[in-house]
Amino acid sequence: MKQGGEEGASSPLVRMKKGNPVTPWLMVLPVLALFLGMTIYPFVFMIWSSFRDYDLSKTAETKFIGLKNYFEIFKDRTAIESVKFTLKLLSIAVPVEIALGVLIAFLVRGMRGEKIIRSSFLIPMMVPPAVSGVAWKMLYNYAFGPVNWFISLFGGPKISWLGDSAYAQLGIILIDIWQWTPFVFLMIYAGLQSIPQDLIDAARVDGASWGKVFLHVEFPLLRPLILVALVLRIIDCLKTFDIVFMTTWGGPGAATHTYSFYIYKVGISFGWNIGYASALSVLLLIISMILVNLVFRLVRMRQQLGFGGE
Amino acid sequence: MPNCSQCYNKNGLYNYLLLQKGGSFMKKLFALLLVLMFAASLMAVKITVLCSPDNADALKWLAGEFMKQNPDIQVEIVPLSWEALYPKLLQDLRSQAGSFDAFTYDVMTTGAVSFGLVDLEEFMKKYPQLVPKDYDLNDFIPQVLEESGKWQGKLIGLPFYNNTMLLYYRKDLFEDPKIRQAFKEKYKRELTLPTTWEEVVEIAEFFTRKFNRNSPTEYGIALMFPRTHTLFYMFLLFFGQYRNAPLGIMRHGTADLEYGEYFTADRKPAFNSEEGLKALEMMKKLMPYSPDPLGSDYGETIEYFNQGLVAMVPQWTGPYLIFRNTLGADKVGIIPMPGRSVSGQWALGINKFIPEDRKVAAFRFIIFATTKWADKNKFLRFAVAPARISTLKDPEVRAADPRVPALEVTYVTQTHRPRIPEEPRLEDITVETFSKILAGELPLSMSTLNDLAKKWMEILGK
Repeated sequence: MKQGGEEGASSPLVRMKKGNPVTPWLMVLPVLALFLGMTIYPFVFMIWSSFRDYDLSKTAETKFIGLKNYFEIFKDRTAIESVKFTLKLLSIAVPVEIALGVLIAFLVRGMRGEKIIRSSFLIPMMVPPAVSGVAWKMLYNYAFGPVNWFISLFGGPKISWLGDSAYAQLGIILIDIWQWTPFVFLMIYAGLQSIPQDLIDAARVDGASWGKVFLHVEFPLLRPLILVALVLRIIDCLKTFDIVFMTTWGGPGAATHTYSFYIYKVGISFGWNIGYASALSVLLLIISMILVNLVFRLVRMRQQLGFGGE
Repeated sequence: MPNCSQCYNKNGLYNYLLLQKGGSFMKKLFALLLVLMFAASLMAVKITVLCSPDNADALKWLAGEFMKQNPDIQVEIVPLSWEALYPKLLQDLRSQAGSFDAFTYDVMTTGAVSFGLVDLEEFMKKYPQLVPKDYDLNDFIPQVLEESGKWQGKLIGLPFYNNTMLLYYRKDLFEDPKIRQAFKEKYKRELTLPTTWEEVVEIAEFFTRKFNRNSPTEYGIALMFPRTHTLFYMFLLFFGQYRNAPLGIMRHGTADLEYGEYFTADRKPAFNSEEGLKALEMMKKLMPYSPDPLGSDYGETIEYFNQGLVAMVPQWTGPYLIFRNTLGADKVGIIPMPGRSVSGQWALGINKFIPEDRKVAAFRFIIFATTKWADKNKFLRFAVAPARISTLKDPEVRAADPRVPALEVTYVTQTHRPRIPEEPRLEDITVETFSKILAGELPLSMSTLNDLAKKWMEILGK
């Protein structure tokens, strides 16, 4: 029988402590394999297939075509229309969500029944987008929908929420605001809880009004959180898919095609044109990176110009 | 403890075991049964059948019946929504993953999925013992077998759901003497069941309260013109009337089952024509008499008719059961579609990329699910429209279901969508253009239709 010391010396833990170079790699290998298989490989495959004629509805074989798929995007009317609607969604829904989220967080803080109100505000965010799409389709129903019924109480006409281009766009924007304002609210509300009370008290002792406390104490401290919420919402908004899939299917015409929904249609729904869908996806990635960088640059510029900062 | 003499006196050992060691014997028997069942389940071949929700209830019932007769095969029916089913089929077949064994496919996707389907004629020759003697291929309605079962001469599927569109109307309103009198006073003719879309326009106007204060319904007709694949087939209801009229045939030739009415006989787009313009004009003309036509789809129009909001609705065969159960059979009338209907068949096929034993099991199931007995019973129980001549002629079926006469007429005159692999792509760009035309975002002109036809030619590589 081996001595305890000898046994201990050969144990993996001791070997690792002595600096066996293989063991740490073995430990991270499962995660590494998962990361390579689930993230790096699909990413490289997407880049590779974006340069190829790769249409599964015709054949499984592929052919190198250079930048043809990318040039095609600029000639594709539906792709351009989907970019337009996505930008509209981004420029209306995201600022409204940020403003409402901040406002609600401030209003809810310290309110009577704060816990119940806080929880109920989070419900829309917890509903899966596909489910909320179905629910909103019923709410928007022309003949029996509660939205039109509510409007009729004020003598308003019935609105074709899903059949009229302008209203369908508004309908999608409203759903997005309903669903994602709670996310901004949650972030800001959590931030508000972490602001040291003595800072607010000190400002109040110095005679600062509620508005001045907000502008000069709370808001500057919340700015990093608002920035994070903004970045996350921009990225998420560019990926809007489920609610369009469940409500309008991009219509009428191409009025509510979001860019992500169009990628789905090209890549999966009507023909498995993997090459073109990959090119569209690469472009989405580039657009997301540009927009996010733009936000950071704007913030940095404001700081340099002396419009506040942390 | 029981008296042993009592145990032996009547049934001997059996009673003894039950009474003397009853508990443990039963436990052993139960355990043995469990082991046997487990072993049987290991030995049974399990097959997965993907299907659309429309077919699911009937297929589940048929699977149950099949398993009773074939305990060596386990069948799992997996319904997938229409939007998810086609991409799933194409993805799996292209990658040859073989994650399912049999599936229902929509007639218009025949060309796209054909490469992944087993040649059933070859299979029948290879395993003749698996085909029941009374399984008669010639009993299928020839056009249906050709359209949903065959692709480029090969038998790749067996017709399962011979779906088509019918016009449902409120029988009680159409037969009401007061309403009939009011109609006659207004239009100087009898209120008859419509046979053309021109007649439908008049009747729809009469039943729309905005144009007739005394209308019993708020709208005349429920139309579904959303920006989904629905609009692609809805167009054919109108286009078919003009495309298949003598003048249309003279201009475009007779449509074939591969390319359908959207194409000319020489396989060029036929919709960029006078007939196409007329069809879209007719669709626009009917829109004021329909609740939210551009925002309504399958579910909404069923609900509008079901709730008594409209007097007429063009719909598939399936919703009949919903209408009958809600409104009552006496209130629901059924006639062939004015103009032309459109076929919406589904066939059952076998995945080419699965092992032979699963192919055999899947073959046995799809044969069972398309026998004469199955065809009749799935129609009677689940309203899954029949694909066999014998079902349509069956006196029990004719007595039980008022749709049969309308179906017989429709199967002969209906129009067809293209079945070529490019169909989904053509469908998407067409629906976008038609949706814009109906919404007034694009002019209803020959130049708009020519632009669309040009795109079709690019996709087709012509």
